[in-house]
Amino acid sequence: MRTEDDTSSDRTGWDRLIVAIATRQDREAFKRLFEYFGPRVKTYMRRSGATEASAEELAQDAMLTVWRKAALFDPASAGASAWIFTIARNLRIDAVRRERRDGSALAAPAEAEFQIDESPQPDSSLAATQSDKLVRAAIAELSADQMRVIELSFFEEKAHAEIAKILDIPLGTVKSRLRLAMNRLRNLLGEPS
Amino acid sequence: MTIRHHPDDSMLIAFAAGTLDLGQHAAIATHLAACPRCRRLASAMEHVGGAVLENLPPAPMAGNALERVMARLPEIDRAAEREPSPEMAAAEIPGLPKFIRKYPIGEWQWVAPRVHLRRITLPEPSRTRVFLLRSGPGTKMLQHSHTGIEMTCVLSGAFKHEGGHFGPGDFDLGDATVDHQPMVDDGEDCVCLVAMQGDLRLNGILGRVMQPFVRL
Repeated sequence: MRTEDDTSSDRTGWDRLIVAIATRQDREAFKRLFEYFGPRVKTYMRRSGATEASAEELAQDAMLTVWRKAALFDPASAGASAWIFTIARNLRIDAVRRERRDGSALAAPAEAEFQIDESPQPDSSLAATQSDKLVRAAIAELSADQMRVIELSFFEEKAHAEIAKILDIPLGTVKSRLRLAMNRLRNLLGEPS
Repeated sequence: MTIRHHPDDSMLIAFAAGTLDLGQHAAIATHLAACPRCRRLASAMEHVGGAVLENLPPAPMAGNALERVMARLPEIDRAAEREPSPEMAAAEIPGLPKFIRKYPIGEWQWVAPRVHLRRITLPEPSRTRVFLLRSGPGTKMLQHSHTGIEMTCVLSGAFKHEGGHFGPGDFDLGDATVDHQPMVDDGEDCVCLVAMQGDLRLNGILGRVMQPFVRL
């Protein structure tokens, strides 16, 4: 069911889909986003410790949130996948907290905890501080090994020792790869490391 | 304001990944509010999160998942464009991110001569206690080490210890391997946000005598 402008499975394509939802409530655009991201958000939830049933529900909720908040998406700064990642992350944190509270209502959604806007240059969210293009270019420069170490750091409580075990490399190598990767990113983003 | 001391990379990744507990998250957020450099990096980490998400293998979803969600699609939520946030209490403590200013903050309590603290009540259970610590100019803290991780972010004033000099926005990490004796700069109070797991261990004779009385 591929159409021409999806063959690149391209990022700007996803961005446009979200904008289409925001501007004209495009259900077809939503369907295509759902088909790509829904199952991946579900994997993210599973790997973060959610049960099958709860991962399914959270993935559906995340995609529903994509629809509801589409008007907040700013393609110039965030990028579809980074934006959807933050939605999934925030929902996961809320779900874990709700579970700990035996289902009683949350004091506040986790979303606000990622809005650091008391700076000299106000920004509405972390993701908005960086042009998506620049960061993407920087990330693309990382080696597969460096990327893998960062990637594993994204899942709940993965201590460096555990990452070393998964990748079957010495602990020192995990640490140095992570350091190199982050220094690389910093340089590419124009920061002295 | 030149910030010289930053959280390490793994903490910034954990912050963006959303895997820190709320108390530690609050300490990193306080640093981020002051530090554009770390904010950029944390933001880059959210993009990395996006790349990670994009590349995850898909998990099959329930057969009717799309239909169920489509059925729930409401009219687009225009209110989401500008979510009104209730006005926070006037912040007497500059430098705290907005979400922390909404938490209940206690009165200043005496801890030790010229040292006071205000407890911050987190809305979620956390292994980390969070409080503001205010120390008078020139205060020499007792030599101490930590039984758990202690994150400190300076809000105003400054202190120094073996690890360097810490001014507004600077981030300091203490753990069981660090044994230090901070000294507050002359001239003004030093106010820090502290996120602490475990306890302080006071060292030296005076510290051992004081220990039963000090409970942060």
